[in-house]
Amino acid sequence: MANAFVAAFEILSFGAIIVLIVLGLGIIASMMGIFNFAQGEFVLLGAYITYLAYANGLPIWAGMIAAPFLVGALGFVLEALIIRRFYAAPIVAMLGTYALGLIIRESVRGLIGGFYLTVPEPIGGSIDIGTMHISAWRFTIIVITLLVMAGCYLLLSRTSFGLRMRATLENPSLARASGISTPLMYGATFAFGSALAGLAGALIVPVFSLYADLGIRFLIQGFVAVMVGGVGSFIGPVAGAGVIGTLSAALPWLMAPVVADVLVFVLAIAFIKLRPQGLIAGKGV
Amino acid sequence: MPKSMSVTREAIAGDEADEATAERVAAGQVKELVKQHVKEHVKAGRKVLPIVEGAALVAALAAPLLLQDYLTVFATRVIILALFALSFDLVWGYAGIMSFGQALFFGSAGYGVALLARDLDITNIFLVLPAGTLIGLTFALLLGGFLLLGRHPSSVIFVSLGTLTGSYAADRLARGWYYLGGQNGIPSIAPMTAGGYEFSEGPAFYYLVLGILVVVYLLCRFLVRSQFGLALAGLRENEQRIAFFGYKAQHLKAIIFAIGGAIAGLAGSLYAFHEGFVWPNMVGVVVSTQVVLYVLFGGSGTLIGAVIGTVIVEGVSFWLSDNYRDIWPIILGVLLLLVILFRPLGLISFVLGERERVGSFGAKVKEKQNAAP
Repeated sequence: MANAFVAAFEILSFGAIIVLIVLGLGIIASMMGIFNFAQGEFVLLGAYITYLAYANGLPIWAGMIAAPFLVGALGFVLEALIIRRFYAAPIVAMLGTYALGLIIRESVRGLIGGFYLTVPEPIGGSIDIGTMHISAWRFTIIVITLLVMAGCYLLLSRTSFGLRMRATLENPSLARASGISTPLMYGATFAFGSALAGLAGALIVPVFSLYADLGIRFLIQGFVAVMVGGVGSFIGPVAGAGVIGTLSAALPWLMAPVVADVLVFVLAIAFIKLRPQGLIAGKGV
Repeated sequence: MPKSMSVTREAIAGDEADEATAERVAAGQVKELVKQHVKEHVKAGRKVLPIVEGAALVAALAAPLLLQDYLTVFATRVIILALFALSFDLVWGYAGIMSFGQALFFGSAGYGVALLARDLDITNIFLVLPAGTLIGLTFALLLGGFLLLGRHPSSVIFVSLGTLTGSYAADRLARGWYYLGGQNGIPSIAPMTAGGYEFSEGPAFYYLVLGILVVVYLLCRFLVRSQFGLALAGLRENEQRIAFFGYKAQHLKAIIFAIGGAIAGLAGSLYAFHEGFVWPNMVGVVVSTQVVLYVLFGGSGTLIGAVIGTVIVEGVSFWLSDNYRDIWPIILGVLLLLVILFRPLGLISFVLGERERVGSFGAKVKEKQNAAP
């Protein structure tokens, strides 16, 4: 019983991390149609900012709060300078963002060297439920993920900003005719997606420690999750991330980790082939 | 006034009378102009490519004579990678299929021949190279068939992410599979043999690889200038239109994808024997994206562009990595971004016109017409 509970918590916790990472990726890939290969590097930057704050004696919380704002600002600038040119050509966008990611990743590698740097958990220790112990920080990540997810959903579905954002991404010319500044909305959406990646990086760095290839690890899983969930909406990728994250964490409990690792990808690609529109088809939030 | 009017009237009458003649003359002139235009452009276009190719071949033939031994070994590696780049260029530059997982075929063939050499002691060149090619072909047929064929045409995004995922999954599999050597790969592969002769690093291996590259290059050149190649170029530019013409677009794509896989497999088996070991990165995302870089730099959609891109990227990184090891990847990223933004057709587009890149199909006939009178 205790063992099953620990397993369930592990699965839930990893699923939450994947969802957190895919939130930003999903907004940019699914709603803007840009498969951003630099997204992993935005996660890496978030982690690096948190590490910098910690290394300079600031509280870790300060770094975690600063990370989304700084990465979001960077995303806004990059969108205006570079990403903007790619909207018409999805493949060129992949290559261009790949080059961007390469620049960011190698810069960070130059700054930290080839090391694995650890950042302590801001909330240490464990939560005891009877005889079972679960990591307090991982529990906090689950809570924050749920809050951010709900926040994003409300922002997109209930506020006028969200409405303008969705209008711009679904029908730019009509949105422009209605008086919405579409370039600004594109910039804001990209910045928002980047900021979410920065937040994800900041939150997961105590769990995975900081190294230059931190972002790549999640990038492909994230893309697969977006495709499984369905391109075009906000909740599609989130649902996909839930499924992929849960599967990747659950299957190793049932079979050899090597097989499980590959099986998740094979299953996902087969699923997308059979159902190209994904789990949740259509537009909407 | 009346005079000028009459002149005008006369002119008009004359025009009307000779309308047919005038039209014929005009048509003839236009035809002549068009001929001249085509001739000039075709000629201007035809000049550059053979020169570039010839120069590259001469440079490649002379290289071992001019270079020190350790540089010849490096040059051999570059030639093998150029062969690999050719396979990607065929798939992306000509057919417009974004294969982010080309290393899957390169690496799996490398692993395949490494296992042949390790477990079965087969190192005969006439067995291992066909075997490697076949492995690449088979994997490409399987993956390409799955991704590209089907009731509904697959989206570009799905194919690119599908190949990327395939490559990534293969990397993870190779890392975790003990039989394949896990993280360390398969070290110290026995050298390739032909009869009693052992191919070790050096000029002999270099010329072998160069010979293979030239043969494959010529085959590819023939292929892309054929009707099949024309249909592929059409696929890249406007897939739907090609489908409306009655071509089976998905089948064409699967075929070129398989051919690309076979060439990548050939390159992979050569690479395995040249380096003497294979390791998981060889099937993974790192090498997959590496080959994309080569082709983008050189210029996709021209075969020579892929070769030149490989030589430039590998050459410069070899040259810079001694002194600027840390910042070289950053420079590479910046250069790549600049090329994508401002030179989408690659460095080759500085010397090669758009007309020649697309290919001058049917130009020979027009030239003959010009030559006749």
